[in-house]
Amino acid sequence: MWLRISLGILIPAAFLCAQGVQNPALTGEAVRGKVVAETNPFNTEADLQQGSALFQLHCSYCHGSHGEGGRGADLTAGVYNQGGKDPDLFKTIRTGIPGTEMPAVRVSDDEVWKLVGWVKKLGSAGLSEKAPGNAAAGQAIYAKNGCAGCHRIGTDGSDLGPDLTDIGRRRGLAFLTESIVKPDAFVPNRFRALQLEMKSGPNVSGIRLNEDDLSVQVRDVAGNPRSYLKENIKEIHREKPSLMPSYETRLSKTELGDLVAYLNSLKGAQ
Amino acid sequence: MKTGGKMKTARGAMKMNKLGIRLGAIVFAAAMVFTLNGQAPVQGSAPQGPVTFDRLLKASAEPGNWLMYSNSYNSWRYSGLNQINPQTVKDLHVKWIFQGRHVEKFETTPLVVNGIMYLTRPENAIYALDAATGRQLWSYEYRNPTRTYNCCGKVNRGLAMLGNTLFMNTLDMHVVAVDARSGHELWKTEMGDYTAAGGYAAPGAPLIVKDKLIVGMAGGEHGVNGFLDAYDTKTGARLWRFNTIPQPGEANFGTWAGDSWKTGGVTTWNNGSYDPETNTLFWGTSNPWPDYNDDTRLGDNLYACSVLALDPDTGKLKWFFQFTPHDLHDWDSTQIPILLDTEFQGQMRKTLAWANRNGFYYLLDRTNGKFLTAKAFVKQTWAKGFDDNGRPELIPGNEPTPEGNDHTWPGVDGGANWMSHSYSPLTKWLYVFAREEHRVFSKNAVPHPTTDEPDRPLAPGALPNAGAYDPALGGAKTAQVGAPEESWGKVIAIDPATGNLKWEHRVLTPPWGGVMATGGNLVFGGTLEGMIFALNATTGDRLWTFSANGPVFASPISYLANGKQMVSIPAGDLIVTFGLD
Repeated sequence: MWLRISLGILIPAAFLCAQGVQNPALTGEAVRGKVVAETNPFNTEADLQQGSALFQLHCSYCHGSHGEGGRGADLTAGVYNQGGKDPDLFKTIRTGIPGTEMPAVRVSDDEVWKLVGWVKKLGSAGLSEKAPGNAAAGQAIYAKNGCAGCHRIGTDGSDLGPDLTDIGRRRGLAFLTESIVKPDAFVPNRFRALQLEMKSGPNVSGIRLNEDDLSVQVRDVAGNPRSYLKENIKEIHREKPSLMPSYETRLSKTELGDLVAYLNSLKGAQ
Repeated sequence: MKTGGKMKTARGAMKMNKLGIRLGAIVFAAAMVFTLNGQAPVQGSAPQGPVTFDRLLKASAEPGNWLMYSNSYNSWRYSGLNQINPQTVKDLHVKWIFQGRHVEKFETTPLVVNGIMYLTRPENAIYALDAATGRQLWSYEYRNPTRTYNCCGKVNRGLAMLGNTLFMNTLDMHVVAVDARSGHELWKTEMGDYTAAGGYAAPGAPLIVKDKLIVGMAGGEHGVNGFLDAYDTKTGARLWRFNTIPQPGEANFGTWAGDSWKTGGVTTWNNGSYDPETNTLFWGTSNPWPDYNDDTRLGDNLYACSVLALDPDTGKLKWFFQFTPHDLHDWDSTQIPILLDTEFQGQMRKTLAWANRNGFYYLLDRTNGKFLTAKAFVKQTWAKGFDDNGRPELIPGNEPTPEGNDHTWPGVDGGANWMSHSYSPLTKWLYVFAREEHRVFSKNAVPHPTTDEPDRPLAPGALPNAGAYDPALGGAKTAQVGAPEESWGKVIAIDPATGNLKWEHRVLTPPWGGVMATGGNLVFGGTLEGMIFALNATTGDRLWTFSANGPVFASPISYLANGKQMVSIPAGDLIVTFGLD
């Protein structure tokens, strides 16, 4: 009920503001004076989709098209340094974070709310979905296929691929399935694969940690961070962006469903 | 625009006269102490005479100094120094570092005069350093309001100097004059209300012409009404203003549909050039607003995306050339004009060489603005050619669309941007650190009435911020396209007469730094990863690098300290200065 009332106030007030009438609900005062709604008034599926489109336009350049982070924070982590409640996220998006590169996002207040909805979804995409498969069987498939050779769950595993400790919270079922059958479809920049064809000595495969015009830093397939001068490299191959093989034909449909169910069960410590 | 700057200035001048007397006494007393002691606090720091307009006219005759933003009025950003050359550059190493201690991008070009480096640090601080050691002599900090309306960071690009006075533009639309010997403020003039429309700012470096200070402004993403100003260097009084959007009654009014001229942007946020022979000031202008939505601004939108040729005495327009009529991609023409006398089709011509953000290199006759030639220097998809007047013949389908056009090259940040290009009289080539990338161009819908700056309501009558530039995004309504390796940067050498590329040196990512050619036949610059480099100006071969590991958002300079050539360039929040033993 409160939400409906606040929405009823906000929208007409917005038009007044455009006429030059100052309304604290639509200005920085709204944030500083905590007049912001306690929960997101824009919470329909359509709002979420609009939030997704707005995110691509305003946020993806720094936070990644899937919220995976880069120049900006990883928004799939579900961890928010400036607070994770709706008004906190509203404030962060509305006013930016002083002293950092995070600017105030220049959209309307209702669009900020739609962004809040999508940002929260990025950090909790898997929470609302329950996989139909057998998670226990999926755990065995995970072990049998050596997934821990590249991925980490808690303290077990390796760091060549994304940490899966709370992947069931971060990512929805469709994303998890695609990542297994088409691992090249989406690869965060920090896990992009390189094959270094050396002028002499054995070639190197790994993921790119850093790069400039003089050198490239990789984590090799043994998990070791290494740095190579480009003057010693004949060619850098980037054609296959993921080190991970496709499991589309290696797993049956049932096995795939079970593996997705296992990953979906990994909610982390939260 | 607020008026009344003159009154404020006059009051300021009176105060400063009194202050000046007191300061003079202090300086005299201090000088006496040093004389009596027989030593100065920092070797080479004593001014050897003021920076006169005559010295500025002949700036290239004193390569030991860096007297203005582009080093000389022709804006070659060329240093005649040659101690550092292909034979010695291998021994180049860091001599000193200035710690900026600021999170904002370092975009300044320092000045160096008589052994002292003057630089701006974000937001609007000035530092005077011993150019040999980097040791600080004094600092001055101009305090902006917490909220300013700069599109792309709270940056400043540098100073101008005349006599013993330094001049700086501020983010809240002031011009300040500061005593170069002490850092004391001499006067302060308000250019205009920085909160008007969607917000004005002045991040560029000003330019001295005769006894005038030429000052540009920014706000092309905020629905402002652009101008270029001239101020009295002694008092700060405004002497003329050129409206970059023709106002009713002015020539060329009527190239904007309806009232769109009132909020059309067309700002002047970078530096300009001056041709003493023809007494002409050249200055580039920014995009029209709204950037990507032209529903309300049909027409050529003069003088957006143009070069203006002005009489610096009066501010009267001599001629203009519009590179991108009716721009839809935020392709500002705020690159710095480069003045060359070059042979074109068998005839020596006084020309203007311009590698434009729209991806084309242009050569114009600078006496009349006549189009001579144009040639793409990066991948471009939007023009199939030019008519005799230099008007581009458009390729359809490159307009921003509601769903996002992802196939137009160059991207919103252009083939070139604000970073300096350089010309070497040794090779007779133009050097450009170019950008190869494309982005998504989205046309946003009709402005939403609640679109607003976060910290304030809309001003009465102000338009919402549709098409605004979002600094986190790198461009309004655009997004990165493709894998990181699908865009790159390149230093190129261009034959000015033809636009033909003589060589290309590719780097990993599109740059935000400029280049400087030197008498040592080198080209210096820095990458976004912080690799500072020296290339052979004849071949493009990389001869020397230094890994500063902080992004370069500025252009290099070179000067002499105690007779030794130095090269300085900001990287990250540092200014790194290199030299030989």
